[in-house]
Amino acid sequence: MDSPKSNWPKFLLYAAMAVFLLFFPAIFTLPFPQHIMIMIFLYAMLAQSWNIIGGYAGQISLGHAVYFGCGAYTSTLLLVKWGLSPWLGMLAGAGLAMGLSLIIGYPCFRLAGHYFAIATIAIGEIAQISMVNWKGGGGAVGLYIPLLDESFVNLEFHTTKVPYYYIALGITAILFFVTYLIEKSWLGFYFRAIKGDLDAARALGINIPKYKSIALAISAFFTAVAGTFYAQYVLFIDPESVLPLMLSILICLVAILGGVGTVWGPFLGAAILVPLSEFTRTYLGGGGRAIDLMIYGALIVLIARFQPEGLMGMIKKFR
Amino acid sequence: MILPPVIQKRTSMFTTEIILQTLISGLLMGCVYALVAVGLCLIWGLMEIVNFAHGQFMMLAMFMTFWMYTLLGVDPLFSLPLGAVLLFLIGIATYFFIIKGILYTTFLAQIFATFGLGVFLHSMAQFLWTANYRSIQNPLIAGRIAAGKIFIGFPHLAAAVMCVIGFIFLYWFINKTEIGLALQAASEDREAASLMGINSNRIFAMGWGIGSACVGVAGVLLSNFFYIFPEVGFTFALIAYVAVALGGFGSIPGSFIAGVFIGLVEALGGLFIDPAFKYFSVYVLYLAVVFIRPQGLWGRY
Amino acid sequence: MALLQVRDLTKRFGGLVACDSVSVEIKEGEIVGLIGPNGAGKTTLFNCIAGFYPPNSGQVTFEGQEITSLPADRVCQLGIARTFQVVKIFKEMTVLENLMVGGFVRSLNTGKVRQEAMDTLNFTGLAEKKEMRGGALTIADKKRLEIARSLMTKPRLLMLDEAMAGLTQKETQEALELIHKLHQQKITLFLVEHVMEVIMPISHRVVVLDYGKKIAEDVPEKIINNEEVIKAYLGDKYHAARRGH
Repeated sequence: MDSPKSNWPKFLLYAAMAVFLLFFPAIFTLPFPQHIMIMIFLYAMLAQSWNIIGGYAGQISLGHAVYFGCGAYTSTLLLVKWGLSPWLGMLAGAGLAMGLSLIIGYPCFRLAGHYFAIATIAIGEIAQISMVNWKGGGGAVGLYIPLLDESFVNLEFHTTKVPYYYIALGITAILFFVTYLIEKSWLGFYFRAIKGDLDAARALGINIPKYKSIALAISAFFTAVAGTFYAQYVLFIDPESVLPLMLSILICLVAILGGVGTVWGPFLGAAILVPLSEFTRTYLGGGGRAIDLMIYGALIVLIARFQPEGLMGMIKKFR
Repeated sequence: MILPPVIQKRTSMFTTEIILQTLISGLLMGCVYALVAVGLCLIWGLMEIVNFAHGQFMMLAMFMTFWMYTLLGVDPLFSLPLGAVLLFLIGIATYFFIIKGILYTTFLAQIFATFGLGVFLHSMAQFLWTANYRSIQNPLIAGRIAAGKIFIGFPHLAAAVMCVIGFIFLYWFINKTEIGLALQAASEDREAASLMGINSNRIFAMGWGIGSACVGVAGVLLSNFFYIFPEVGFTFALIAYVAVALGGFGSIPGSFIAGVFIGLVEALGGLFIDPAFKYFSVYVLYLAVVFIRPQGLWGRY
Repeated sequence: MALLQVRDLTKRFGGLVACDSVSVEIKEGEIVGLIGPNGAGKTTLFNCIAGFYPPNSGQVTFEGQEITSLPADRVCQLGIARTFQVVKIFKEMTVLENLMVGGFVRSLNTGKVRQEAMDTLNFTGLAEKKEMRGGALTIADKKRLEIARSLMTKPRLLMLDEAMAGLTQKETQEALELIHKLHQQKITLFLVEHVMEVIMPISHRVVVLDYGKKIAEDVPEKIINNEEVIKAYLGDKYHAARRGH
């Protein structure tokens, strides 16, 4: 077992990080760096949610944007049509996403690896095409989130990004803690067993469809929460921004770069990819030049080929 | 039979000619899908690795054709052998530089190796050539054939015919030549094949080369009448996956027939429901097939 | 009353009859061997009993309860554990974690399961390797790990599928010692084996399958000299030769 001494560097690191993150907006007072951190948190949330079903349980979902869009659209439509508080809308969206995941999971989980992955792509595309053609939900034009008075209750702030920062930090922290608990509990072991060998898992008493569904439901819940947060932050959503295949791919990418099946991987991945994306966009040419995506693509190939365990894998090797 | 309003509105506009026209367009396009699917199936059946960059390979062939035409004045017709060879080489290179190293690694790594390659190629195309839509203005193969009130675009017809020829050639190759039989043997049982003296590396590289050449041929042929842009690969790739799943993984004739079938479904879906929904029908078809019959219509698993 | 009762179990794959009306009874505390030439249907029988696929006809009863069409995870929860012919361990998890997965079917408390896993590791002689990655073990240790892991589910009946295959003399000896310890723990054992020198000495009874049918069931001494068994393994010609034309 670990001796108390060897735990000190870890605790110090965590403490330093916590202090840094808590005081970040006080140190970096301009909106731009705060926006970057908020985006890092957003992608960390998405990647960590995906990590639960894709990294731990090994079910490669390439259509996770559907849950993101579900969260974003549900809370927005409830706000637009009935003035429902975005927080309640967030819960409604997350609950709906969980239900959606059960419906999707039930037939899909019977499919083997590649079939499952492509099925998730197909479902994602069906969702996007449907929303584009549903005028009641805004269609291709999208929806503007109604401008409300700036307040925590309304989950809207217009003069400063700082509250958004802390809300994002809070949600991310909760999600990471939940993931940590899962990893240490029987759920984490069962998810990893499912990823490891299905027959062996069954022979050890694991009900495979049940646990796959649990993993996906938890994942969908938090992905949808991120969707509502995004809607309230950007104040505009459309199928192109919350449901595209590219977003689903990016989510996986962040998780893989950081290291699948680890608690810190998604944060590491987001912390590298988001600034990288901003940097290439700002310094290497205008939008559509896609240099950041080129780098992403090359990164994934390199990671898959040489270091499938991602950055966390590399870090563990140096310990 | 009471049809939903969106369908009812459209059926009133249908004449036999329109339906026939749609069926023929779908059939012709389906032949192109079919060749793309066959290329994917070959790789998939050979080593159970999905080439998620398959669509981007096709896109590369299309851009090659475009630049040969625009910069050197070479008509797509003459680019055909070049496209086949270029993609053959790209396929082999992909095998040796990327695939060989991930053959025995985790499933996740395998998916993402080709996935990453696809993302890279797609964004590279966007970076080098912008996202603008290009087209070849005056190809040699142009014009229409008229049969009564039905028009068949000559490029579409030529593409379909060439794809069918390509498939027949491939089928002959797989079943009647030594290399082809070696490919089949290796896909059935890698170890047994190597005991028979079949060098698995060379065979796999060959499989990648031929599979990519198929999609290269399809791409060159498409350039005659389809828009050329970095994202063009995505849709074709997705359709190819659906076709391979539909036809049963590992069955080359199955994939071909499924590809043609999907061409029809796509065309009819666009006609009877809404043009916006033509791909929608394809995705729904995929889900229907894998949910009801996971091994596909002709599959081995 | 028998612990496990298999009655007229038949399993077909397309046109091939893998198990043909096989009946067998196993009493508590017994060690029963299952032998037969390759393709005789031994693993298929295991798979049907363990719930990996349902038989086409027949009945399986365990501790008086019918379990014929129950899925594999339910069968494990009821007290039957099995290992696999081609060993299936969780390669990316440590030895300790592998065992813990098995323990959670009896308790969801991580601390308790970890302690039980440590005890089981000590019992099966794997304690030193507890932090090793599953995939890094030798084949003998992997087989041992699979047995240890299935022990965590606290089975009343343990079915081992070729646990000795591919082991050296020394490793086989160690595996035999483990089996003996399991027997002392009052776990009923049903073993598929090819290595005759191993299974004959330890089994109370031996069941012989050939082409899906049960052709003999008796104490090991009688099985060795059973005409049908010899014919099944060595073919008619040898049998005729043996009888001395």
